[in-house]
Order: sequence, then structure tokens, then C-alpha cells
Amino acid sequence: MRLAGIHHGAGGACWLLVAPLLGLVIALYAWPVAEILWLGFSDPEPGLQNYEKLFTRTALAKILWTTLRICTITTLLSVTIGYLIAYTMVHLGARERSWMLTLVLISFWVSVLVRAFAWLTLLGRNGPVNAALAAGGLIDEPVAFVRNELGVLIGMTHYMIPYAVLPLLANMQGIDRRIMDASHNLGAGAATTFTRIYLPLTTPGVVAASLLVFVISLGFYVTPALLGGGRVLMVAEYVSVQVLVTVQWGVASMLATLLLAGVFGLMYVLSRFMRLGDVFGARA
Amino acid sequence: MQDGTFFKELAEQGVRDYRSGRLDRRSFLALCAVAGAAPLAVSMGDAEAAANEIVMWNWGGDAVKCHTDAFGGPFAGDTGMKFKVDTSGPLQGKVKEMVDSGNVTADVADADAFDAIALGKSGHLEAIDYSIVDKSQVLEGFAWEHGVSIIFYGYAFMYDTGKFKDDPPSTWADFFDTAKYPGKRSLYKWANGAIEAALLADGVAGDAVYPIDLDRALAKIRSIKPDTYYWGSGAEAQQMIIDAEVSMGMVWLNRAKNVEADTGGRFRLNMNEAIAMPGAYIVPKGNPAGRENVMKFIASCQTPERQIALLECHGMTPSNPKAFGMIPDALQRFAVTSEENLSRVVLNDPVWWAENGGETVNRYLEAIG
Repeated sequence: MRLAGIHHGAGGACWLLVAPLLGLVIALYAWPVAEILWLGFSDPEPGLQNYEKLFTRTALAKILWTTLRICTITTLLSVTIGYLIAYTMVHLGARERSWMLTLVLISFWVSVLVRAFAWLTLLGRNGPVNAALAAGGLIDEPVAFVRNELGVLIGMTHYMIPYAVLPLLANMQGIDRRIMDASHNLGAGAATTFTRIYLPLTTPGVVAASLLVFVISLGFYVTPALLGGGRVLMVAEYVSVQVLVTVQWGVASMLATLLLAGVFGLMYVLSRFMRLGDVFGARA
Repeated sequence: MQDGTFFKELAEQGVRDYRSGRLDRRSFLALCAVAGAAPLAVSMGDAEAAANEIVMWNWGGDAVKCHTDAFGGPFAGDTGMKFKVDTSGPLQGKVKEMVDSGNVTADVADADAFDAIALGKSGHLEAIDYSIVDKSQVLEGFAWEHGVSIIFYGYAFMYDTGKFKDDPPSTWADFFDTAKYPGKRSLYKWANGAIEAALLADGVAGDAVYPIDLDRALAKIRSIKPDTYYWGSGAEAQQMIIDAEVSMGMVWLNRAKNVEADTGGRFRLNMNEAIAMPGAYIVPKGNPAGRENVMKFIASCQTPERQIALLECHGMTPSNPKAFGMIPDALQRFAVTSEENLSRVVLNDPVWWAENGGETVNRYLEAIG
């Protein structure tokens, strides 16, 4: 759609129209966030001592690395599995597709706490999965599925799959199937058609899904706390402990600033080689 | 938004001052005009309600029913004041945030003694008025300037009687000895209790635990790290034991009786060397019901019968020495201050934790992560 008149003649009027909303966002969101981030430089006393802790407090580097590692693996796993699910969905009939969508959405709506405890029960040392494996003679000792990093990855991937499926599904549904027919017609096999035609066409979906999953994973708190057995400490939980228990708000704010900067940095890098508008489904 | 809140508070303060005689009628009406009639109608209602009810800030779950039945209900019977519960958990950071924001909605919080000392020092609490609250009704040493102990809770471990029937573990040294007593362990994730347990296990005498030698404690904690899970909530601690994922697990004492029942007696509590934690009732600065009302409420919670009622409902042990002798036989074994236990528990030092708690929690998290 083209609204040339507004674009050219009335730029000022446009801003005037959104000004109340913009004001609201600044007053209720941007300003409080800025105040909180400022604590990183002002609490307990003005200066950079909170940022200095990044280098002096050895735990911090480890926590940041754990967070990055877990979020990256979670993103790879969820997007891969989500891709397979979305791919299956677009190639099924409308009835089956709506059934699958319902199932995906149901898991989307179950509370994170319920899921974590469900995994603990299912995969625990004396849970049904270990019992079945032992009964089948496959294992002698219970497998440590949960209360470690593996448990965190299982729980987080399970939680994030719907977030990967939905953008991928939207993207795949927008692809004209006749392009694949044309590719076959021109002599390409299934593998070539997939790698050279389908995969590139779904790249915006993959990027959107990855970005969404990664950014949400960064803030994970309950799942790692429960499924990690207390030994897998990620940034969000550490921030929460600094705010609530140790009352070191400056350190919490410093870490929050790092996370926010990291997300913006990621967006910037992506925006260098693709249009973020396409990724998030904006249409010109 | 900001203005609305400001006028609401102005009006509420006005109502309070007018009632207490600090504000004359003319000034009060002028203030009404400034604040505006409509918000004032609401504010008068709010302020009146606030002055006629006690809002207790606790940790939710069974505490809602138990605090209401044992303390809130009887207090309402005495005074006609309503009793409400906020279940969001008065962690130190939340109390600080509430007071700093100027929007204080709780009158009394069921907090830890080290919170009372730390937050008192930083100016976030009302001082306890010992002309209303009776210092002699508290175990000596557990009434502070900005908080008073109404209950004790604590940390102890439960063990699998199926595994360790013949030679049951009875000390923290046994707990840390995974060669003699094989199986997984569980400890509290935020350091309290676990640090003291580690020192006792390492041979430190019960009366020499404080000041804590943190390096020594953390070395001991690390020694069983591959076999330890760490829990952050009572539900987690309970699940680890009920699902028999651990052969010995640390628990909050008040939960122990239920866990014994839930496991059909397979897991049993060991009270020897339990770490007793003084809870503290604290009052956020500027509490809505006013200082006098809340002090009366706190004093009413010292009543021995009410403390026993709380013990029966919630497993929290009385702090009033007059209640110690009234602890029912069936609960003697689970109560910190019962005759059989008082001499063999280690009492937490809240002053040490108030000063070193933040750094200790971080170093502990570092050690277990």
C-alpha cells in the first residue's frame, strides 16, 4: 500500500498522531528501564565498580558463559525440531494441520513450573523412564537425565519448540509450492530442491525463530533452577538473587544491561545482512 | 499516574493526621480541595480500611491458613481489626523496594532475623516498640531493635531408613560421609544452614561455628558436590525426598512431619545438630495500619496458646519460653525449642548473617555452580 501523501506532506502530523502513545511508552517503559539500568553505575556508589566485578568476580564470567552455551544449544535444538514439525504441518491436510497446531498450542499454554516438575517426575532417578530402561535391561544405574545441564536443555527445548514452530509455520505457509514443482520439472532431485530452493526460502523463518528462541532463552529462570539441580546457574536467576536476596542491585543492573546490550547487538548484526522487517513479517 | 498516587497519599496522610489530631479541620478540608474530591472519597475509604486492618506479608501456602487461624483470627476477636495476608514472600530486596517506592502495603512481615538487622540498619524498618511488645516473652537474645522473634524454624536432614536401618546417620559428619552412607544428598541453595552444617561436619564445635570460616565451609560443601542437589523451595526439597532421589536430604524443619507421613515413615528426621533459625516479625517503615496497631498485633502473637496453635498448624516452633512446656508430646521431636531439642540444636547468629549474608550467598553459589 502506498500512502505517498502522508509520507511527503505530513511527516510532522504523523509524529503528532503517535506522540501520545510514544509519550506513554517513554513514561511507563523506557524511563523506568533507564532508571534501573542506571543503578549499575550508581549503586552502591557512583562509578564503574559493578562493571569491574565482571573481571574480578570469577563466577560472573562462568555464569555468562553457561547462559550463552545453554541458550545456543537450546536454539539449535528447538529450531531444528520446530522446523521438522512445521514442515510436516504444511504438508499435511488442513484437518491434521489444525490438530497438530492444537497440540503445539496446548504445550505452549502449560505453565513452566508444571512442565519442570513433570520432567523431574518423568526423568528422575526413580521415574518411569529410568524404570522402563532398567526393566528392559538397557541400564544398570539410573541415567541422570535431570538435575544437571542435560535436564535444563531438555526442559528449555521442550518449552521453546512452539516458539520456533509458529514463525516457521507462518513462513512456510507463504511459500508457493509451484516453485518446488518447477524445480522438479527442471530435473532437480528432492535433496537439491530442498537445499537450493526450500531452505533458502525459509531462511527468514529460521532466523526469526532462532532470534525469538534465543532472546527468550536468555531470560530463563524457573526451568534451569528446577531442572539444573541448583548447579546450573544462568544469568536471570543470578540477577534475581542479587535483587531479592543479597540486595546488590548494582550488580543485577549491570548484568541486565549486558543482556539488553547483547540482544540489541544481535539485532544489529542481523540487520546488517537481512531486513528485520521481513523476518518479523512486516510488509511494506 | 504519578500525580494520582501523590494526591492519594497526601489525602491518606491527611486522613491519618486529622484523626490523630495532628491536622486541624480547616487544613484538612483545604487539603481535600487540593487533592480533589473524587480521589479523596476513595482515599478516605482506603485510609480508613488501612487503619482498621493488619496486612501480614508471608510466604503463602499453608502459612495463609495457619497465620489467619493462629494469629489473625484471635487478634480480630480481641480488637475488631481485620487480618489480611500478602503471600508474595518478604525477601530483603522486596522489603527494600516496597519502602523505597513509598507505596507500603504491608504492616508486618514474617522475615528472617538477619533481614531485621540488615534492613533496620539501612533504615527500612520501624523500630519495635518494647513498651507494647514484651521482651520477656521471647527467648533471651532474640529480640532486636527492628524485629522480634515470634517463631523459630530451621534446617535438619532426613534420611532413608530403608538404606540405613542398622547404623542410622545422626550427625552432619555422617551426612557428608558419602563413602559410609552412599547415595545422593540435598542442600539448601541459598547457603543458610548448609554453611553451618558443613562446618559441624568438618569438626567445628557447635558453639564455635561463628564467626564462620567461609573457605573451610565451602571446601567441605565442594567435597560432596558431585553427589549433591540443591533446592530453592520447600516443594523441591520435599520432592527430592518423596521420590527417593536422595538418601539424605536437608529440609525445612516445619515440613519434616509431613514428609515422614508422606513417605510412610521411610524417611526420618534427625534433629541432632539441627540449625535453628530465628524468624523475625518486622514492620516496613510507614506501614499503613500505623505503628501502634501493628505493635499490638505483634504482641498478640507472643501469646503462648497462639504460638502453640501455629506450631500445630504450620510446624513453626514457639519463641516464647512460656510456650516451650506446652508443646504437645507428638510434636516434641519436631520442635526446635522443645526440651529434648533445645540443647542439641545450633542457634543461627543473625548478626553475622546480616553483615556477611550477601557475600556468603554469592560465594556459595559460585562454589556449587
